[in-house]
Amino acid sequence: MTHCPLVIVGAGPAGLSAASTTAEAGIPTLLIDENPRIGGQIFRQPAAATDEAPDPQKAELFRRFQAAGSKIESRLGTTVWGLFPPGQLALLHDGQSALLRADNIILTPGAHEYVPPFPGWTLPGVMTPGAAQILVKSMNVSPGKRVLLAGTGPFLLVVAQTLHHAGTRVVGIIEMARRRESWRVLPGLLACPGLLKEGIGYLARLKRAGIPIHRGQVLVEARGDEQVQEAVFAPCNADGSPDRARSKSISVDAICVGYGFVPRVQLAQLAGCRLHFDDAQGGWRPATDENQQTSQTNVWSAGDGAGVAGALVAQLEGTLAGLAVARRLDALADAEFRARRQSIARRLARLRRFRAALDWLYRLRPALTDLAAPETVVCRCEEVTRAEVETAIDAGGVEYRTLKTMTRAGMGPCQGMMCGPALCRFLAARAGKPIERIGPPSVRPPIVPVGLGTLAEASALSARMGATS
Amino acid sequence: MSQVPDVIVVGAGVIGSAVAFELSKRSVRVLLLDEALPGRATSASAGGLWPIGEAIGLGCGVIYHAAQTGEASAGPASLPAVFRDFLAASNARFPQLAVELQDISGLDIEFSPGHGLLFLMFEERESEFVRGLAGSLPPSTRIDVLSADEVRRLEPALSPDLKGAALLSGEHQVNPMLLAEAFKRAAMRNGVHSRPDARVTGLRREGGRVTGVAVGDETISCGTVINAAGAWAGTLAATIGLDLPVFPVRGQIVLTETLPPLLHSCLSTSACYLSQKEHGEVLIGSTTERAGFDTSVTPAAIQSLCRGAMRAVPLLAQVMVKRCWAGLRPGTPDELPVLGPASGLTGYLNAAGGFRTGIVASPLTGEVVAQLATGERPTLPVEPFLMRRFE
Repeated sequence: MTHCPLVIVGAGPAGLSAASTTAEAGIPTLLIDENPRIGGQIFRQPAAATDEAPDPQKAELFRRFQAAGSKIESRLGTTVWGLFPPGQLALLHDGQSALLRADNIILTPGAHEYVPPFPGWTLPGVMTPGAAQILVKSMNVSPGKRVLLAGTGPFLLVVAQTLHHAGTRVVGIIEMARRRESWRVLPGLLACPGLLKEGIGYLARLKRAGIPIHRGQVLVEARGDEQVQEAVFAPCNADGSPDRARSKSISVDAICVGYGFVPRVQLAQLAGCRLHFDDAQGGWRPATDENQQTSQTNVWSAGDGAGVAGALVAQLEGTLAGLAVARRLDALADAEFRARRQSIARRLARLRRFRAALDWLYRLRPALTDLAAPETVVCRCEEVTRAEVETAIDAGGVEYRTLKTMTRAGMGPCQGMMCGPALCRFLAARAGKPIERIGPPSVRPPIVPVGLGTLAEASALSARMGATS
Repeated sequence: MSQVPDVIVVGAGVIGSAVAFELSKRSVRVLLLDEALPGRATSASAGGLWPIGEAIGLGCGVIYHAAQTGEASAGPASLPAVFRDFLAASNARFPQLAVELQDISGLDIEFSPGHGLLFLMFEERESEFVRGLAGSLPPSTRIDVLSADEVRRLEPALSPDLKGAALLSGEHQVNPMLLAEAFKRAAMRNGVHSRPDARVTGLRREGGRVTGVAVGDETISCGTVINAAGAWAGTLAATIGLDLPVFPVRGQIVLTETLPPLLHSCLSTSACYLSQKEHGEVLIGSTTERAGFDTSVTPAAIQSLCRGAMRAVPLLAQVMVKRCWAGLRPGTPDELPVLGPASGLTGYLNAAGGFRTGIVASPLTGEVVAQLATGERPTLPVEPFLMRRFE
């Protein structure tokens, strides 16, 4: 079995920063990512050159990573499907499974998008903004001819701009946050004037492109026969509850819906890390100390996977985790560690004031859970409806586990990764329990389906597979 | 609950829930206490109802035996006839019980009669084991030895490498989690009070009498405490100095994605057992390990189970594994349950040590323990299962 002093899982902003930091300190670093290229979701590298302006933050991140070079071995196109405590990682690459042992692990797996179930959300043509971004950036495919973005958060603006640049017609953005709420958070946003300016830049470019933003509105339904044809949206109150009498509809052939992100905590859970519920940062996240260390002494967590806070925070947290590992392995003097940590902590504090303002503005509002109609499918894998879920809750399925047994919701191939957060919210609302009392959905390996034949192979759970750096 | 309960049942797995259900039919005031601990055996059970199969060592027994001894040996020893008969009587309740539980709880326990349980023979030692079984069977049961061709007519998905198989008809399956939930719901419909998140920290004892339980700082008094705490039953008994030899025995399980109908029988081999569940997933179990309360799954066990499954049903190589997990069976030194009173102690009953037959034994265990709690004469003699056999 390959034995590594340090493995970093995820090559987005947090993982790249962590890897650069540890490599600079001379630590042999193994970096793993399921994508064929580094960059993660936010800095996904396009399949072909585009005319989109180069992002200076991305350029600097990549430059630093390249400069750290020789100490980093990258295994891309490689999925970590299991973590067996204390330090065995099970990898999948090219249909082959292998185990490796890591003394130290930095988890930077990022986040996935949150979409509360609503009528029509399973229609072809309804997707997440992230999925649309992958279509455009990696496959050069446009999600549609008339695309609507809906949900909440700055990511909608980013994807609208990406789509527009790729020549896709964006017919509008439905944003749940109301205009006057933006003023309320202005003091917080002023903690980072540069970021505020960047946001205003996005808004100005969308305006120039003639893309309308409908603020204080919520998407209530996607309609169509074989494919989405129409989006229905309505003004909403501060709780996100729509005023359906004033709903409007718009003709579309694709809708990208996203209500922020949920940290990917599966590996941290398998590692035995304690989780902490933080609604503003996407729900359950690993509890971390001031050095990004989890409750497990050999596991660190950084970036959106440690609580959704965006790419800049991710880079700083990744660097911090890298410094902590370097310090632990005695590859960094204590004085230097303290000095660098202090400077990062200052920047993080400022960014977190900014993030807190954004988190409030783009918060998940309680009425979102109520968008689903009784017949709306909640668990897509097992096709379980909201009515079935609520009937089971009323019949006493008031624990997540019992609810699963009674309805099979969350028992499909995705293991509740997609529907789990929504199921917990239904459960909390219907059973009148605080959501943190329901606990995080349990996780079992493999966290992605793996072929039984693959697991049975001689090398699968013992030997090393070919490096692919 | 406003009044003092007559009986407190500690543990709402399949055994505790079955006991609570049977007590509820006898108009006893019951409080059912449970805590969602990882590794509860009920949620890691295959749900096989293999009363004779388990008693003669099929299922986990033969896997454990093969892993311990390697080859060239006959299989595991059979369990005593008195327990085999207990399991058979309990198993006979299921068709009726499924209807009763559906009526009261509204839950379908997914009782599904199939062809039966097939023990697959790949090697001579397995055939030898089967030949030796004839003497352990109860009079009413027969074991049919099928040729390779006959087996594959029954189960076309099986490997062509098979030498043959032994078929035990009348061995079926249920959904173990739904069974436990249905017992619990039915009990609650009949008035049992349930606290699903009560961490019972100990028993309360005054001299020779158990008086109640402690839930953190809270003490709850009652007439009788029933220890149905599964793998934790020994730990609970130890809080009043009672030496109940029940310990966790880990079993790891692999579950595939949902597949079209593939297997009509439950399969038992020297490497694993397999059964396709109601929703199409194939469940592959299981290890037998002393690992304390550790509920981790291990790469080596996953691999060994997957290999065993592929050897039996080659096309499983092409399917996806959805999840692997582990449960803690409540094991005992002689693999028999511990039921009924403890010597020199009143107000206390065991419903413990279900080991690997808790699901099939649950209907009768519930009944017998409820009868003991209410002073009725038990349906079947409980003496062979009393705790004093360890003294």
